[in-house]
Amino acid sequence: MKRTRLYLCFLVLLVLGIAVPGLAGVSEEKIKQTTDRILSIVMDPALKNPSKAEERKKLIRSAVDERFDWTEMTRRALATHWAQRTPEEKKEFVRLFSDLLERTYLGKVEDYSGEKVRYEGETIDGDYSVVKVKIVTKKNKDIPVHYRLRKEGNDWLVYDISIEGVSLINNYRTQFNSIITQSSYENLVKQLRAKITQK
Amino acid sequence: MKKFDLEVAVGLFIIAGIVCLGYLSIKLGKMEVLGEKGYEVYAIFSNSGGLKVGSTIEIAGVDVGRVKNITLDNYQAKLVFMLREGLKIQEDAIASIKTKGLVGERYIVITPGGSEKVIQPGGRIRETQSPVDIEELISKFVFGKID
Repeated sequence: MKRTRLYLCFLVLLVLGIAVPGLAGVSEEKIKQTTDRILSIVMDPALKNPSKAEERKKLIRSAVDERFDWTEMTRRALATHWAQRTPEEKKEFVRLFSDLLERTYLGKVEDYSGEKVRYEGETIDGDYSVVKVKIVTKKNKDIPVHYRLRKEGNDWLVYDISIEGVSLINNYRTQFNSIITQSSYENLVKQLRAKITQK
Repeated sequence: MKKFDLEVAVGLFIIAGIVCLGYLSIKLGKMEVLGEKGYEVYAIFSNSGGLKVGSTIEIAGVDVGRVKNITLDNYQAKLVFMLREGLKIQEDAIASIKTKGLVGERYIVITPGGSEKVIQPGGRIRETQSPVDIEELISKFVFGKID
């Protein structure tokens, strides 16, 4: 009798043991959720009307905000210059940087025309994860996109994206660094502002 | 007696020549004889792009170390870097493989990060960027624009 109970215990443990790695698709699931949510906004015929453009933009932005860790991204992009900034400057720069990315990439999202997204698994290493995604264009070309995520509590947040193997953060890090070392941080802020307000 | 002196002189000369040759080959071959100074970190790349052991590692164009070892680890390239002693690499630094010129040799560039955490000896540079395959990009350009 006792033995059967022991076996049962083992069985339960075994099932749990298998179930835990099964749950590991968690960061991929998060990316999938956000992508699906954005696609549903983009495809929504009710929001296609030009008069709704502002609302649509806001909806997309809020979906992106939920998944992206802007502070972490900005910290990584500013790199060695981050520590020298005051808390207010940091806050302002996070806003500028996220606005810049929004301006640069939101247009691309709005141009969406039925490209397929293929999920190719994730690699989790401690609190870090890489989710591999392939975007298949209508001409059947694959564009590999890698999302890099970090565990934050129970959530996974994106801190870098590589497209075609080129890291977004590395790109901005090099640019910010050369602007700051050649002129100044104030100049970089000015340039970013000009870029964001530019039509 | 005189002949013996001449032989000694020639012998010494040749020994000096061999020592010089040894020194040159060690210097030029970038070999280390007496224990290497510095510390090791490793990084995993999806593609090493034909990088060789001994390739230079640069930060802001300054030589800060060498690639010590390249192995295949789970079908990815595991590179061991030997970095200058005292050099601090932040946890969010990015190591990327670059090419000198269009077809030149491959080397590693580390862009320092902003994290307060520093990678310890034997630690891993998590963020890596493999070289862009120009051939692949050209084929994409030829057979269809990406966006």
